[in-house]
Amino acid sequence: MGVMRIGHTSLRVMDMAAAVKHYENVLGLKTTMQDKAGNVYLKCWDEWDKYSLILTPSDQAGMNHVAYKVEKDADLDALQQRIEASGGKATMLPEGTLPSTGRMLQFNLPSGHEMRLFAHKECVGTDVGSTNPDPWPDDIRGAGAHWLDHCLLMCEFDPGKGVNKVAENTRFFIDVLDFFQTEQLTVGPDGAFQLASFLSCSSKPHDIAFVGGPTPGIHHISYFLDSWHDVLKAGDVMAKNRVRIDVAPTRHGITRGETIYFFDPSGNRNETFAGLGYQAQRDRPVTTWTEDQAGRAIFYHTGVLSASFTEVYT
Amino acid sequence: MLFETNTKVNVHVMQTGESYPCATNESLLQGMLRLGRKGIPVGCVNGGCGVCKVRIAEGRVRVLGPISRAHVTAEEEALGYTLACRVAPTVAVRLEVAGRLAKPISKGFAAQANHVLTK
Repeated sequence: MGVMRIGHTSLRVMDMAAAVKHYENVLGLKTTMQDKAGNVYLKCWDEWDKYSLILTPSDQAGMNHVAYKVEKDADLDALQQRIEASGGKATMLPEGTLPSTGRMLQFNLPSGHEMRLFAHKECVGTDVGSTNPDPWPDDIRGAGAHWLDHCLLMCEFDPGKGVNKVAENTRFFIDVLDFFQTEQLTVGPDGAFQLASFLSCSSKPHDIAFVGGPTPGIHHISYFLDSWHDVLKAGDVMAKNRVRIDVAPTRHGITRGETIYFFDPSGNRNETFAGLGYQAQRDRPVTTWTEDQAGRAIFYHTGVLSASFTEVYT
Repeated sequence: MLFETNTKVNVHVMQTGESYPCATNESLLQGMLRLGRKGIPVGCVNGGCGVCKVRIAEGRVRVLGPISRAHVTAEEEALGYTLACRVAPTVAVRLEVAGRLAKPISKGFAAQANHVLTK
């Protein structure tokens, strides 16, 4: 059933002009729409729906909601029933709640994050079109991100108090939203506690990820690039634009992704990464990373975790 | 830096006793980072994550950009709290590190990660 991919994220920003400049010039998105409330909508060149990022003016950073696209409109009704049958609450927001977007099923994850599902968003096509397309357009800016690929949500984790929202979200995504788990990082005696969890609804190693922390938040939103060379070039773009780089180019053990992490002008973390890793399938054995190898799971080359990467998020 | 002409003032981190020179046209945090020094926790350096929260105990600073109200309330700001990444010193400053990383984090990923790395 139903969920195809991440559709958009809605982020809070404290300086709209700086945020738009960052997402346009550094990541290479284009602004497609603005609304009366001052929200700005953007998309990547290789995406066909009207927007994949909403920037909303605020006095703080962070994520308002994340939305995933389902295949059929009827999936929204079926998923509403499943969420309610699992004891959750879900509200159907009418068409037009967001511009160019059909009705949305709105609910909170066990971790508290707001999630939405939708089936319809205005299709404007990729920048190379769908008839005899060139492999890339001529007006690519910055890193030239292809698409919004996934997000990582920080979830409350305090096993001493019996709290593990990473595990609860994982169960919810598998049982209710029909995702499947690809990888996990376990800690504690006999790896009893799931500290990080990676889930797919496609053939990619992750479409969403959850990591434990003291409070809920958004760790990063991630954009796809073609190659390792594109990751290095993205680093050059960041240096040219004086962007705060959090993690210099390296590889993750988890998902095998080649990556660079950085911050937008409000401190929301971004990732650009390359490498689809492997073919994720429902019958592929789940990869488990153990506590003693957590460093290599996250940063495969050095095996050393940086404090800012694990402790800082919005 | 033979011909460094930017005006510099002294920044003193009260908890660690460290001091470093900071230009009056750079943030308290950038000045520290540029010298490769430690003392104030470093995060997004863009006013959003809140880990570089400090209290300006002595001296004066100039605001460089917005700070997240999720981490510094208006009341706190009036008491001298701010984020080190978003203020530049106008005169010598003595500051107290006040962010959540100033306190030992005993739970969650951070503690787990440290545990992994130190055992």
